[in-house]
Amino acid sequence: MTYAYLFKYIIIGDTGVGKSCLLLQFTDKRFQPVHDLTIGVEFGARMVNIDGKQIKLQIWDTAGQESFRSITRSYYRGAAGALLVYDITRRETFNHLTSWLEDARQHSSSNMVIMLIGNKSDLESRRDVKREEGEAFAREHGLIFMETSAKTACNVEEAFINTAKEIYRKIQQGLFDVHNEANGIKIGPQQCISTSVGPSASQRNSRDVGSNSGCC
Amino acid sequence: MSSIPQRKKKTVKVTRSYPTFPTLNAWEEFRGLLPVDGEPNPGVGLGVEEGLLCQMVHSPEFNLFPDSVVFESNFVQVKKDRKWINIYKASNTMALGVTSSVPCLPLPNILLMASVKWHQGQSQTWNRPSTAPHIILKRILPLKLVELQICDHLQRILRLRTVTEKIYYLRLHPDHPGTVFRFWIRLVQILQNGLSITTKDPRILVTHCLVPKNSYSPSGDSKLVQKKLQASQPSESLMQLMAKGESEALSQIFADLHQHNQFSSRSSKKTDTKKDSSEKDTPGEDCIPCTRDLSWRDSLTYGEWERENPSGPQPLSLLSTLAASTRPQLTPLIGNSI
Repeated sequence: MTYAYLFKYIIIGDTGVGKSCLLLQFTDKRFQPVHDLTIGVEFGARMVNIDGKQIKLQIWDTAGQESFRSITRSYYRGAAGALLVYDITRRETFNHLTSWLEDARQHSSSNMVIMLIGNKSDLESRRDVKREEGEAFAREHGLIFMETSAKTACNVEEAFINTAKEIYRKIQQGLFDVHNEANGIKIGPQQCISTSVGPSASQRNSRDVGSNSGCC
Repeated sequence: MSSIPQRKKKTVKVTRSYPTFPTLNAWEEFRGLLPVDGEPNPGVGLGVEEGLLCQMVHSPEFNLFPDSVVFESNFVQVKKDRKWINIYKASNTMALGVTSSVPCLPLPNILLMASVKWHQGQSQTWNRPSTAPHIILKRILPLKLVELQICDHLQRILRLRTVTEKIYYLRLHPDHPGTVFRFWIRLVQILQNGLSITTKDPRILVTHCLVPKNSYSPSGDSKLVQKKLQASQPSESLMQLMAKGESEALSQIFADLHQHNQFSSRSSKKTDTKKDSSEKDTPGEDCIPCTRDLSWRDSLTYGEWERENPSGPQPLSLLSTLAASTRPQLTPLIGNSI
């Protein structure tokens, strides 16, 4: 299938926060409660439509374990978007965000769009990290923020698509050099750059910090 | 945009350089051997080089390891009941390949896995299919976290086990000639024993695999490999010294894995599963369920050694080595010697 752009995403965060489940929910629309630990990279892909353009999301799901951290770092290169995930029921996964963010900033393009995700929002009774804390962290570090549930699919679509919208907005604003592969954006095989990059910069549909679709 | 003609899907022109290694062909010529069947590159002719997997990872969409050759084949995922049976229908196969993150490494360090869906009735000729099948890259694994074994010689089945105890049984596709399986046998040997040029010190066990051995012995083949390994075991103290750093890293992995398993079993009891809909929905990517026996953690008392950043001059590529040691037609079956 043809596409206007391909965006490379990377999903990062501590082990067990639900990175692979988020990917599975987004690509296959299903939830698998028991999931093998990820080693190396697992791939997922899906087409989305942003502003009338077909965009292919190539998603790299990485290992969250500390032991694989050095391997994971090598996959940041060329990512246009990152989903930085923590588990709202495990405070330590939130505490480690700074470290993940440092890695992401250090090993990727400065323009990379980062979506902070507080996952497992269905487990409200076991909540250990307040929503406001996630929002504050995102605001402080210039991230987009959403709480999601890979189990109920709440906000999963929005998290991936809003990240794509933000990347697309940056392309329109000329912040991303789409010819530089290091930015994690590739022009589709049949696209002409002059027609792919629309002139309008008023298409911003992505939600800002703290927004959600209301289901969580 | 509309004036640009439609391009045929998945036809990627691969142009690569081989900065440090001669190709298979050059190596054959170096040895004074003629190429097979007049092919410019026997690796390509046999479908183990520049195949669909290689074309995909080198394509602009991924652009991974662009300077490294990929050794690859087409496999059918099987499981053992009384006999080996295919898990998925014939149109779904798995592409398995090894490559190097940088071409100058003495051993490959990357495993590639992709699912392949062939068109109805299409010949599954690996290197030059009439119509490109639908191929999806599923995972990239560091080879040191994977153990490859020859599981069944006659049936040409590999056993692939990850450090997290995920196990695949993969039967080489019948369209591949016997020579290709001998390449895989040689690869398994290299990954387990290293190359003769990797180190000259017989006390140092050269192995690329950090997956500890367990008690599994597939149809006698790996038993012999184990025996051979034991015969050349270096002193335990040296091995332990060498293993220390990696043992610590692995211990952490296993601790995480153990915790994960406990968490998984808890959550599987608590959550209402949608298991029925999730099981085996995606052909080619699931593995055979295996026991989560982590007892082999305790067996991590011997050393592991890898050289990812060698400083000296680099040897011939893995593929050249494979070709050199498993020359088609001329080399007798080496399976018995494993």
